[in-house]
Amino acid sequence: MPLHVIGVRHHSPACARLVEHVIAEVRPRFVLIEGPVDMNGRIDELLLGHELPVAIYSYAHGARSHASWSPFCAYSPEWVALTEGARVGATTRFIDLPAWDEAFLEVENRYSDRHSRASERMLRLCDRLGIEDTDALWDHLFEQPLPLDVLRARLATYFVELREGDDALARDELREAYMQQWIGWALATGGPVVVVCGGYHAPALAGSVAGGPEPEVPRARGMERTGSYLVPYSFHRLDAFVGYESGMPSPAFYQRAWEDGAEAGEHMLFHAVTALRERRQPLSPADAVAALTLARGLATLRGHATLGRTDVLDGLAAAVVKEALDAPLPWTRRGKLARGTDPLLVAMVAAFSGDKIGRLAPGTPHPPIVADAFAELRGAGIDLAGGKLILPLPAERARSRVLHRLRVLGIPGFTLVRAPSLDRTRTTLAEEWQIARALDAEAALIEAAAYGATIAAAAAAKLEEGLRGARGIAAVTRALRTAALIGIDELALRLVEEARAAAATEGSFADLGAGLAELVALHEHDVLFGARGATALREAIVAAFDRGLWLFESLADAAQREIEAAVALRDACRTPLALDRARAGAVMERRVADAPPALRGVALGFLWSTGGTVDAAAAARGTTALGDFLAGLFALAREEVLHEPAVLDVVDALVQPMTRAEFLQQIPALRLAFSWFPPREKERIARRILGEGADARAFVTLDVAPEATIAGLALDAQVDEIARRYGL
Amino acid sequence: MANAKKVVLQRPPAEVTYEAELARLAKADDAPRPPGWRLSPRAVRTFILGDPARKVRQKFVGQPSLVDRAMVALATGRGLMLVGEPGTAKSLLSELLAAAVSGVSTRTIQGSAGTTEDHIRYSWNYALLLAEGPSPRALVASPLYQAMKEGAIVRFEEVTRCPLEVQDALLAALSDRVLAVPELAGEDGMLFAREGFNVIATANTRDLGVNEMSAALKRRFNFETVFPIPDLATEIALVREESSRLLERSGVTTPLPEDLLEVLVTTFRELRGGEERLSSPMSTAEAVSVAHAVGVRGAYLGDGATAADVVECLVGAAVKSNDDDLKKLRKYFEQRVSRHEGATWKALYEARHRIPGK
Repeated sequence: MPLHVIGVRHHSPACARLVEHVIAEVRPRFVLIEGPVDMNGRIDELLLGHELPVAIYSYAHGARSHASWSPFCAYSPEWVALTEGARVGATTRFIDLPAWDEAFLEVENRYSDRHSRASERMLRLCDRLGIEDTDALWDHLFEQPLPLDVLRARLATYFVELREGDDALARDELREAYMQQWIGWALATGGPVVVVCGGYHAPALAGSVAGGPEPEVPRARGMERTGSYLVPYSFHRLDAFVGYESGMPSPAFYQRAWEDGAEAGEHMLFHAVTALRERRQPLSPADAVAALTLARGLATLRGHATLGRTDVLDGLAAAVVKEALDAPLPWTRRGKLARGTDPLLVAMVAAFSGDKIGRLAPGTPHPPIVADAFAELRGAGIDLAGGKLILPLPAERARSRVLHRLRVLGIPGFTLVRAPSLDRTRTTLAEEWQIARALDAEAALIEAAAYGATIAAAAAAKLEEGLRGARGIAAVTRALRTAALIGIDELALRLVEEARAAAATEGSFADLGAGLAELVALHEHDVLFGARGATALREAIVAAFDRGLWLFESLADAAQREIEAAVALRDACRTPLALDRARAGAVMERRVADAPPALRGVALGFLWSTGGTVDAAAAARGTTALGDFLAGLFALAREEVLHEPAVLDVVDALVQPMTRAEFLQQIPALRLAFSWFPPREKERIARRILGEGADARAFVTLDVAPEATIAGLALDAQVDEIARRYGL
Repeated sequence: MANAKKVVLQRPPAEVTYEAELARLAKADDAPRPPGWRLSPRAVRTFILGDPARKVRQKFVGQPSLVDRAMVALATGRGLMLVGEPGTAKSLLSELLAAAVSGVSTRTIQGSAGTTEDHIRYSWNYALLLAEGPSPRALVASPLYQAMKEGAIVRFEEVTRCPLEVQDALLAALSDRVLAVPELAGEDGMLFAREGFNVIATANTRDLGVNEMSAALKRRFNFETVFPIPDLATEIALVREESSRLLERSGVTTPLPEDLLEVLVTTFRELRGGEERLSSPMSTAEAVSVAHAVGVRGAYLGDGATAADVVECLVGAAVKSNDDDLKKLRKYFEQRVSRHEGATWKALYEARHRIPGK
């Protein structure tokens, strides 16, 4: 038979072994590999002797921007096909559509496991075998030592099942039709042909027929710049526990499995034990023995001849964990680590992930980001000779974006001295930069190449990666602001979406308020963001507002940050957005009735400043902890207080009869309360209290530090006390 | 024992309820068994997780790998500690494991503040002790003592409710597999555990107790956390099945209407999953008992269960009129229930005035 189609799972050592065996046995004339066809002209670059993992990074910019990776590690079947194919003197070719083709729209990793993950059939099979997720199922079925012919037959059955249980998408059919053209050409040319492709495509490709000319590389329509080049990659990015679109989890484990075979499980167990000890986890030799015993027991129970990945992880967890867990074991489910995952387990997963970073061989062509960076700088007219640069926004948005992108990528020489403020009370936005020519800028750019082909794409990818470990709406909105500054609309939109999701689970009222304030500011200053984001932003604001009310209802007390968060809620209320103001009113009224003074002040101020009728004067008269109450009230209803200052008279009346000691006690809170008024308004208040004609300005612009005043008052009180004691 | 079979027990132990299943599994079981086990680990797994093909009912809804790890802990001679929120079926799992592994699940010590070392080790029949002096006849065996002697599993429920020093009475049994009886001379002075002996302890995370276990004892246990059921459909199915069974026993033949059941289970899940946890556990077991109570109320006190019954039973059975919890419950109703779509949710919201207090 001249055609050998090997369906594989990307990054599977078992499949890699099968590929190695088939190529050695068949000694094919052609080895055809699922991979970006536009890389064929430079396929030899892959064999320059890199330190794995590396990836082919493909990019396209034009009508739409797109980037994707095809990562390779030592145990990738595709990598083995490349190197073994070269070794036996076969012609090796990539035969899949380029990454910028429409078939790859929104695909970031060519070698991810989208199909097996979504398959209903595989989930049912998991259920039947009592296995929790599809990765463990894969290990159970394929990564145990098997005779190669058994492995091959079993893989074929698995992939036929996978394919039949799924409606193939048009994009998959497009790719398969193209790959079939290549196979047809190779078959017509003659000689045995080995095809290495994702198992999902294998059943379709097995039916290829000989004939046809050598297929052409499709031309990119509407794309200005496209290309593929090699970049260093890392185990961290390969790991399914980290990214949402990656392949097999725990690359360090499979690297061992590839190198050490049956011994891998045991080696990894001790490797993890060492890693845990390095993190100061007390792990005795007895614990290690217990972990190994348990892992072996589990392997036996599950019918494994060698220790599988989950056998080792389960064994370690059983021996090491000595507390109740807040989140399930990470390897019993897919995706990112759940909130509250035990640090011990996080460390174990990290040890199984590994920290290997690939390195390109010397002489590998420079990635285009280097040229792109300098072209962008030139295009924006930024003088590298250096100096201070002040950019008013939005007029200088183009230059600002270039600089922000370089800053996000950590390229030395571009320092943001003063950030633009989105404060609502300010009308002009300007930022200040310090530019200097740095010698290591180029090296930093090559390092950044793993993130993208242009500084725009790379900055976006890096920003997003930085956000993966982060939790909470405040972190997301901070990144969102940066995304707006670097001018990547797609990322910004995604982050807005993420902010909306984060709002729903945010537990801290203060953080929620910070996030909401940021969202509202971005919405108001649509200069930074463009109209496209407006709808999504509105939805995120609605969600955050909603969550804010929920959190506010059970808030126990309000310090400065909580008060600011309430201001953010109120500010959102004052925008013309469609928010549930009636519910907000109901929540505030409930809090006026049951909350401690500071919160009562906040709730009252909220109602007052959103057009409600309240009797603030009466509330002030009836409150305990006057200062706390006023801090809340003034923060939200500053303007209302100025327009209807009856409440100030009440305050005056309450403060006048205080003893000095009582007054001293109230001073910090009162000071905080009045700090919400700008100096001019303080002056107006002072004039009202002191009466016309008094020197109100001198009164509020006291040229003495407040601490000194307080200390002085306290000293006075002491002197009085001593004087009284001695009858003076 | 012939007579015993005629008596209807309120709740027979697992080895009695599932006698036929266990016998069938034992007969077909040809996999290797750890020493002292009645069934192979694979058969135990089938017994607990069920297998429709072999007509074995699924008895525990949870992670299969948890059952694997639990069995391997037992088979490799480490104690098993099941921890989790109240009502996550820890005791059920321990009962099923004991019944399948040893054929007996009644060697049980119930931990409490009043548990003493004697309950764990052994005590004496004082009449005999005074008359004859210390003798094996005068010794009153504890469940632990019996289990060691028989090579069975002893269950220790709510171990963290016991004082620390009492818990530590387990140490020698777990590490050296021996119990000293210094009062007795000769061979009787040392009880060496037979193969098959082991300990399954349970502890719940609300007892604040888990931290108060000595490091020495912790080291001898493998900890397994039992989590609440992760998906809604499975939990609804379980609550439906269990509550119907209870209702039947209470003489109520109409099961809870499906929409009410869904609202009830969803309410429990939202109250459980939210970051504002009630101090009362909102477990599946609790949902079953509320569903049961709602069904009984509907059948005997009204014409059919309504959303108002759910509120009443929720407050009475689950929240137990703890002021703080009631406050949280009111907030939940005002802000969450009010915004669910559907007639049953609306009815539930309308019935919110039944939550006591302001």
